[in-house]
Amino acid sequence: MMQSNTPNAPTSSAHAKADPIVWVQNVSMVFQTGTVALKDANLEIAPGEFISLIGPSGCGKTTLLRLLADLIRPTSGTIQIGGKNPEEARKSRAYGYVFQAPTLMEWRTVLSNVMLPLEVMNFPAGERKARAEKMLVLVGLEKFAKNYPWQLSGGMQQRVSIARALAFDPQLLFMDEPFGALDEITRENLNLELLRLWRETGKTIIFVTHSIPEAVFLSTRIVVMTPRPGKIETVIPVDLPQPRTFDTRETAGFFNIATEVREALRKGHGYEVTE
Amino acid sequence: MTHISPNLVPMLVVAVIALVLYWPLMYLANIPAAQRALDTGAVLPCKTAVECATQLRSPVLPSPQQLWNGFRNLMFPLSSPNAIPINAVVTALETIVGLLLAAIVGFFFAIGIVASRAFERSLLPWIVASQTVPVIAIAPMLVVLLGQYGVQGWIPKAIIAAYIAFFPIAIGVAKGLKSPDPLSLDLMKTYNANNWQTYLKLRFPASIPYLFTAFKVAMAAALIGAIVAEISTISFQGIGKMLAENSRASDVVAMWVIMLSSAVLGILLVALVNWVERLVTPWQRAKSVAAPSSKQVRVPQGEGVR
Repeated sequence: MMQSNTPNAPTSSAHAKADPIVWVQNVSMVFQTGTVALKDANLEIAPGEFISLIGPSGCGKTTLLRLLADLIRPTSGTIQIGGKNPEEARKSRAYGYVFQAPTLMEWRTVLSNVMLPLEVMNFPAGERKARAEKMLVLVGLEKFAKNYPWQLSGGMQQRVSIARALAFDPQLLFMDEPFGALDEITRENLNLELLRLWRETGKTIIFVTHSIPEAVFLSTRIVVMTPRPGKIETVIPVDLPQPRTFDTRETAGFFNIATEVREALRKGHGYEVTE
Repeated sequence: MTHISPNLVPMLVVAVIALVLYWPLMYLANIPAAQRALDTGAVLPCKTAVECATQLRSPVLPSPQQLWNGFRNLMFPLSSPNAIPINAVVTALETIVGLLLAAIVGFFFAIGIVASRAFERSLLPWIVASQTVPVIAIAPMLVVLLGQYGVQGWIPKAIIAAYIAFFPIAIGVAKGLKSPDPLSLDLMKTYNANNWQTYLKLRFPASIPYLFTAFKVAMAAALIGAIVAEISTISFQGIGKMLAENSRASDVVAMWVIMLSSAVLGILLVALVNWVERLVTPWQRAKSVAAPSSKQVRVPQGEGVR
C-alpha cells in the first residue's frame, strides 16, 4: 500500500499481514469552514505496533487520531477499530486517550484521577483502587498517590494521565502530542519510559508528534503527514533494534531514518519555505 | 493559629488611618451643629462649639467616644430582646437560610441555563428583570402574599434574602458548569460517559470554586435583603427592626452602632463562607503558595520539525 524508501523493511510488512487492529480506508475530513483536514487517508496498523503520526501543524495528524477515537466523524471513508466502527469501539472502551494537556481533575488526588475511568465504567469498587495502584506503579508514581495534581511537575502529571488511560486495560492507546509541552530532558526520559511501558503491556500505540527524533526513537513505523490538504505522504518503517536505549539516538541507523523522515516531509512541503 | 495572620497588620494600619481621618471630619461636620445648639441657649454640659462637637445628642457624625458608649449600651445584656446580639443572630439566620434557599433554586436555574439554550433565552430576561425591582418595593408585597398562606415571622425575610441572592448564584454556577475545557469533555466522551456522569464527575466539581465565589457575593446581597425586608415589613426581631426603631426615635448614635454591627455581621458571614470553602475544597489549600500550575508548564520549547 505505502511504498517505503528503505529497501530492507521486513518487520513492518510482516506486521501488516496480521489482522489489523486499526484499518483506515479512503478517509477524508472536510470541516464546515471548507478546510480539507484530511484527504484520502489509508492506513493499516497491526496489533502491538507503535505508530507515530508526524507532520507540521495542519497536516491532519490530530484529526486522524480524533477520527479513530470517534471524537469526530469522517466526511467520507471507512474506519475500523478491532473490526468495529469507531463509535462501537469507543462504546466498548477499546482505547485509552492521552491528550496534549494532562487534563487531570484538580479536585481529585493522583490515585483518584486514575480511578476516574473505572468509576465511569462501573468497575467493582474493590477493583478500582487495586487497578489504579497497579497503574501508578507502572508509571513509577506510587509514592504520589495521595498528592493533588498541582503538586506534581508537568511530566509527572502526564504520566498520571497515561496511567489513567491504561487503567481499564484497553488494547489501544492514542496519544496526542502528550509530551509536547515538556522540556527536552523530561521528554527524552518519558520516551524511554513509554517504550518500557509499551514492551511490558503489549499495547498498540498511536502517537502524534511533531518531533522527528521522538518519532524515530519510539516507533515501529512512522506515518509522515503533510499539509494543504492534510494527507499521508508516506509510511517509514523503523527497524532499529529493541529495546532501545539512550544510545539508540547516537546510532547511524537512527540518523538515516531521521533523514528519511525529514526528506519525506520536505517532499510533501511539510517544511515552510522561508528562503 | 500559632502566628499572627499576615492580614492583621495591614488591617490594623487601615483602621488607624481611618480613625485619624475620621476625627477632623467629625469636628468639621459637628461644629456648625454644635454652634447652632449653643446659639439656641440650650442648657449644655459644654462651653465651646469644639467641646460640644463630641457631645451632641444628634450628631451629624458621632464621635468615637459616643460610638463606643453606644456600642456598650446596645450590646448588653446579651440576651436582651433590644440588644444587638440576639437581633444579629436572627438576621444572620434569615440570611443563611435565604442563602441556602437561593443555592438550591440558583443551582437548578444554572443547570437549566447550561443544559438548554431555550431555557436560557426564555427565562433569563425575566430573571434579570426581577432583579431590577427594588427589594424595598417588593418586600411588603411578598410579605402580604406569603401572609395569605400563613407564612409569617422570619421566613418571609429569608425568602426575600433568597430572592436577591439566587441571581449571582445561578450565574456563577452556570459559569462553573461551563468551565471544563473541551479536552476534559472529550476525555469523558472517550470513557463513553453519559450526561449524568459528565455532570457528576466533571461539571459539578468544576463548578465548586465558582459556587463559593458566587456565595460570597450572594451572602452580602442576602444580608442586605434580610435587613431591608425587616425594615420594610412588620418585624419583631432583627437588625432591620432595630434600625427602624432607632430611626423613629432619631437616635443617630444607635443607628451608627447598628450599621457598623451589621457590617461586622457581613464580614463574619463572608468569613463563614470562606471557612466552609476551605473545608469543602481541600485541593485548593496552599495552592497559591507552592508549585507552578500546570498551565505555566506549557512553555513553547521550540519543538517544531527540525
